[in-house]
Amino acid sequence: MARIIVCYKWVKSEEDLRISADMSVDLSKAKGKISDYDRNAIEAARLLAEATGSDLVGLTFGGPDAKPSLKDALSRGLTQVFWVNDSASASADGSVTSTILAAAIRKIDDFILVVCSEGAADTYAHEIGPRLSILLGIPVISYAIQMKAEGEMLAAVRKLEDSLETVSTRLPAVVTVLPEINPAPIPGLKAVLEAARKPSTEWKIAELGLSGDNLHRQTTVTSFKGYVMNRKKVVFKEGTAKERARALVASLRKEGML
Amino acid sequence: MPEIMIYSDRLPLAGEIIAAAKELDKEVSAVGLNESDAGELAAYGAETIYVLKGESKRPEDYCWTMATVIAKVRPESFLVGATVRGREIGARLAAILGSPLMSEVNRISLAKGALETERTMYGGAAVLTETVGGFAVITISGGKHQSYREEGRSAEIVTVAAEIDTRVTQVRVEPIVRAGADITKAARIVCVGMGFDKKDDLAIARDLAAALGGEVAATRPITEDRKWLPAETYVGISGAVIRPNLYIGLGVSGQIQHTYGIRDAKIVAAVNNNERATIFQAADYAIVGDLYEIAPLLTEMIGRAG
Repeated sequence: MARIIVCYKWVKSEEDLRISADMSVDLSKAKGKISDYDRNAIEAARLLAEATGSDLVGLTFGGPDAKPSLKDALSRGLTQVFWVNDSASASADGSVTSTILAAAIRKIDDFILVVCSEGAADTYAHEIGPRLSILLGIPVISYAIQMKAEGEMLAAVRKLEDSLETVSTRLPAVVTVLPEINPAPIPGLKAVLEAARKPSTEWKIAELGLSGDNLHRQTTVTSFKGYVMNRKKVVFKEGTAKERARALVASLRKEGML
Repeated sequence: MPEIMIYSDRLPLAGEIIAAAKELDKEVSAVGLNESDAGELAAYGAETIYVLKGESKRPEDYCWTMATVIAKVRPESFLVGATVRGREIGARLAAILGSPLMSEVNRISLAKGALETERTMYGGAAVLTETVGGFAVITISGGKHQSYREEGRSAEIVTVAAEIDTRVTQVRVEPIVRAGADITKAARIVCVGMGFDKKDDLAIARDLAAALGGEVAATRPITEDRKWLPAETYVGISGAVIRPNLYIGLGVSGQIQHTYGIRDAKIVAAVNNNERATIFQAADYAIVGDLYEIAPLLTEMIGRAG
């Protein structure tokens, strides 16, 4: 059976990120989650697998903390999931991550399509899908909001700034999807229970047959700090609704906004 | 030897990037996909222009030739406008050339001779600064640099026959038909958040926008989950990034992905009944209160004055 591989990333939830007085970022208390847009990508891949009668498998590269992602991903309709488990993921950049994912995809083999979201919730660098296409030597269609497999072809609609571009390509291919391609339903209880019985495969980087040369980050992080919006933060909470509204209108008028 | 090479499928953004590179005191060369672009790129200040000649209408299909030109000219870095097409091109080039990609960079500078870039992470909650010693591909966000256009500047033109990647076929391109006005161009925005109970209530936001002479925008769940407004109207890191004079959020909680999209608004105002909503940290003026009560009052007061 033809196979569709959907890649996802286990990320720290930005909502739990704490910024200290010195602007340093504390991620230690942050919970993990499957990157928001990856959930839409998993559902898009699931719908396509259903339409084409393909086997749908998941792939992730993450450290030991990504373990809870397996069950979550499986409950979203995958038949099995592959996990490249290495704490090197914490410092990996797009070059390293795509090299590892491409090697894992080759090892999974027998695929017609690799589905990624446009970008991850933490880095949002928009690079993994297009990089994978080069490393795998197959075409890429990026930023799709619709897709349909027709025989050996994939047709998709891409969303550009002010136009929609309909394109097609021969499979196998890589596609990156925008979150608006479809909603990401919350898995039901039955799907969650079934997920516990589905297989997952864990690999170490060493099992992927990669040489060490291209597994190092090529940039140096010189600072990682919290962003604070510089706003006046004037809050009207006392008085009647009318008084508060009047106070806001007066402030906006003073700013020359009205 | 040109020190920085640039490309953007949008000429005004190419102009901004040329200006950013020139601020680093670098010689700039540019890639263009036809001769008429070459004149514009020269006017923006590119000293050498590589015109890639080929039949495809998709800039992405010129990736391999761009990579060949880069490998031959060996610039210190290759800057690409972070448009949809530009982001794909940037990532593919980085993979072809085995180089790092610094993506959607807001600021670029020199630190002890190395290129230093700044970009946001975690939906805008954090800022990452990194340096690179060797060659890198860098995509640059629009609207962060001022371009300088001067008619009649001359540049050396080098024409290169392009080898087109024919694997992806363009079937058609159609403009996105916007149901309303373009929110990225509106001076005043009223933004609808999840504090609205039902679709019919959006009239409250429309009335306020009308009183202000502005447009209605939305948060992502309003367009993507509830589908009350078209996708083009959602503001945020994955949607529209807007720069209005005035933004008024009604029932907007202020998630970081959303507020990323209003960072460059001159004044941010908000109405929310939850005093602990994060929008209060991102607003200049805010009312703790029920939008159903407050917004009509604002409409009346502003309308009366106008």
